Amino acid sequence: MTSPASTPSTQDVPQGAGTAGTPAIAPARSAQREGGNSLGTFGVKSGLAQMLKGGVIMDVVNAEQARIAEEAGACAVMALERVPADIRAEGGVARMSDPQMIKEIVDAVTIPVMAKVRIGHFVEAQILQAIGVDYIDESEVLTPADEEHHINKHSFKVPFVCGARDLGEALRRISEGAAFVRTKGEAGTGNVVEAVRHSRAVMSQIRRASVMNEEELYQFAKEIQAPFHLLKETARLKRLPVVNFAAGGIATPADAALMMQLGCDGVFVGSGIFHSGDPAKRARAIVQAVTHYNNPKILAEVSENLGEAMVGLTIDPSIKGGLLAKRGI
Amino acid sequence: MALDNREVVIGILALQGAFVEHQAMVQRLSLKRKIAVVQVRTVEDLNRCDALIIPGGESTTIAVLARVSGLLEPLREFVRRKPVWGTCAGAILLSESIEGSKKGGQDLLGGVSVAIARNGWGSQVESFEVDLAVQDLRNPEAPFTGIFIRAPVVLDLHPSPEDPPIQVIARLPTNLLPPSLASMDDNDPKTVVALRQGSHFLTTFHPELTHDNRFHDYFVRECVLPAAAKTT
Repeated sequence: MTSPASTPSTQDVPQGAGTAGTPAIAPARSAQREGGNSLGTFGVKSGLAQMLKGGVIMDVVNAEQARIAEEAGACAVMALERVPADIRAEGGVARMSDPQMIKEIVDAVTIPVMAKVRIGHFVEAQILQAIGVDYIDESEVLTPADEEHHINKHSFKVPFVCGARDLGEALRRISEGAAFVRTKGEAGTGNVVEAVRHSRAVMSQIRRASVMNEEELYQFAKEIQAPFHLLKETARLKRLPVVNFAAGGIATPADAALMMQLGCDGVFVGSGIFHSGDPAKRARAIVQAVTHYNNPKILAEVSENLGEAMVGLTIDPSIKGGLLAKRGI
Repeated sequence: MALDNREVVIGILALQGAFVEHQAMVQRLSLKRKIAVVQVRTVEDLNRCDALIIPGGESTTIAVLARVSGLLEPLREFVRRKPVWGTCAGAILLSESIEGSKKGGQDLLGGVSVAIARNGWGSQVESFEVDLAVQDLRNPEAPFTGIFIRAPVVLDLHPSPEDPPIQVIARLPTNLLPPSLASMDDNDPKTVVALRQGSHFLTTFHPELTHDNRFHDYFVRECVLPAAAKTT
């Protein structure tokens, strides 16, 4: 419903994540309000993700942790009942958190609040939109509600972030309406190896696509099961057409800086902060590491005396809680 | 006129937020004067700059990072001497006082004589795009797409007699104000979404997310280059 004039046009912006190509991805599905403004356009959805770039989004389970995260410089918090390490340890079905608890966190902080829904559970998403969360994570960390379908994210005003292990998965999520993508990594392990694998997979596939001609792109789209127009746009931009964060297993400032140097736009830290010896100090250090990711001297300073890191797990098929990244591809 | 060939350095505060978008916009301007655009993360970076853009992002995060990076006082000093443009979070940091800050308050830089409310419209589902009427920019008859994302609201303009006057560049129609700040007065300060005071510039929305460079062009031509000419 947005007029062509108010839709950002597609031009060359090599680095501007999400600035280019938004009309090609999703014609703005928006609610027109009296007075000629448009709510919930793809521009404002992907735009909020752009404002989070260079920042750290931290998992918190109550208002007190949310305040610690805000004071440490988190650019947003993810409200959930149990951090992934506990979901892994305790087992059972993991669901959307109690809306009352999410509202307490919304009231406690001024930064954006995100919350997770189960893959495919569009009613949980409707509930989170109704209570006014700023972003929804359709997350493999919770137990999937639908093993075949993801949520049609275009039909919501609230924006969504989704996990991906490779380029095809990322572009499938964007085509469903995700305005923000993250690596899946392997949540709740404190082991960064899967996040590195997923980030490298996405980046290397983008580099390959960027030198392909049109015929090769058609074939590549088929191979990675990605919508052709999104693949073509990605190849032209030489990056994902939306903001791309690292997530799943990040536990130290060095892990965070590693993901930034691999080309991610920012970092989610789940269990890594509040399962460590000194959460406030570690949170602050990871925030600084994401800003100064290219400055080893500052990285060395902020990595000193952080206390115990979370206990890491070796990732193999017998891991307690299973391999979460295989859910919802 | 050899001095005129000195490169004018425009810094983009790159602690957190959408700084790359601003950098790309400024780099694409076509100007007679040679400019360089640098990302600013340290005092050394800041010391090279003739002007600064503070991008959108989370103002609490940017303030925390400025403090721990030892940039807070150097930035305040910079604002007193050189042109600065703040968009959204950057506008909050340039204001003299804020409402709706986190518990315990947050550090500000000051420099522009306005009071501002953070996150005036509420949560992200209230974020919007709207065509704005603009004044004094190049081609002022064309509307500008204002992208308002969890945007702040200017509550009041209060320049003291010795401050430079405030020039309004764009306003929202009153019917788009948040219900809690409703006003029927078209000249209410709460409708102001872009303004200039001296060589400082302030926008509560995000010109860097569009492909319309008129705000960037205005800031560089009207605020940065004249100030740089005086110091060379």
